[in-house]
Amino acid sequence: MPAAGIVLIIAVLLIVAALVYYLVATIVALRKIATGLDGAIAAVGEIVAKSAPVEAVVNDINGNLDAAVDALEGLLVKKVGLNDAIGLIDGLYPGAGAEGMRNFPDSGKIVPPRIGEVYTRGVLTLARLGREAPIAAASPEGPVLRHASRASSEVRVLYPNERQVRPQRLPNSPVIGTDSPVRYEQALTPGVRPRPRTPLAAAAGDDETKGES
Amino acid sequence: MILYWIGSLVALFVLFPVVVYLLRGVLQAAEGIVPSVDRITAAAAAGSRDLDAVPLLLTTQAQVKQTVETVADYGGSLDQIVDDA
Repeated sequence: MPAAGIVLIIAVLLIVAALVYYLVATIVALRKIATGLDGAIAAVGEIVAKSAPVEAVVNDINGNLDAAVDALEGLLVKKVGLNDAIGLIDGLYPGAGAEGMRNFPDSGKIVPPRIGEVYTRGVLTLARLGREAPIAAASPEGPVLRHASRASSEVRVLYPNERQVRPQRLPNSPVIGTDSPVRYEQALTPGVRPRPRTPLAAAAGDDETKGES
Repeated sequence: MILYWIGSLVALFVLFPVVVYLLRGVLQAAEGIVPSVDRITAAAAAGSRDLDAVPLLLTTQAQVKQTVETVADYGGSLDQIVDDA
């Protein structure tokens, strides 16, 4: 056999070996992909099955809540009148009066009046209904009385140098319990704790002591 | 004979590298999909677990209905209750 034939056989063998190696590796990878997709399809099927009844249930909940909101909103208007109702809502949640009330389409155009009457807590509760829940997407932005997710950040803006900025400079919490070390001056009289001695008071006390002696 | 040599050398130094290059590209593409599929599977499974709480909506539905019915039962009395609150 000529040398050229041997070289050709070697080349063909190498090509076949490369084909086998890479194609087998590709088959293994594709099998992994198929297995993964089977799992994903099963999970997606579960998602579809679990979320199927959600729409009907949520619609039913919303329907009931709509009826309640309609009734309570109507009660608020009946109690205080439309103008004062908008004034109360705008007073509690600045800017919310412009959105108006659901069952009174023109109520958003009312200029919120200044309230000249003292209303009961029940009326204010009616005015707050549906406007304090943190999940209420329609809640007006801006300053609010109480906001579940915003309250702490507002306080931090007011007092930026408190514990959240320099916790290492604050004194440690007192150790309490039966085994706690005595760290504080004992009270001389029940209910009366001696005032901490300042350097100035200590100097004055020393002078008095010297004068008496 | 010269053509025979040329064919053999072309097969060894041109055809073989090209085949290896192409097959390696296919393998890398297939292996690159595997982690993505694994992440999709994990995300779908997590999404399915998140929906385990959906049956609680039935409790919410019942309680909302009960609450609204209770409020409705007050009827005109609610008017007075609001004044006395």
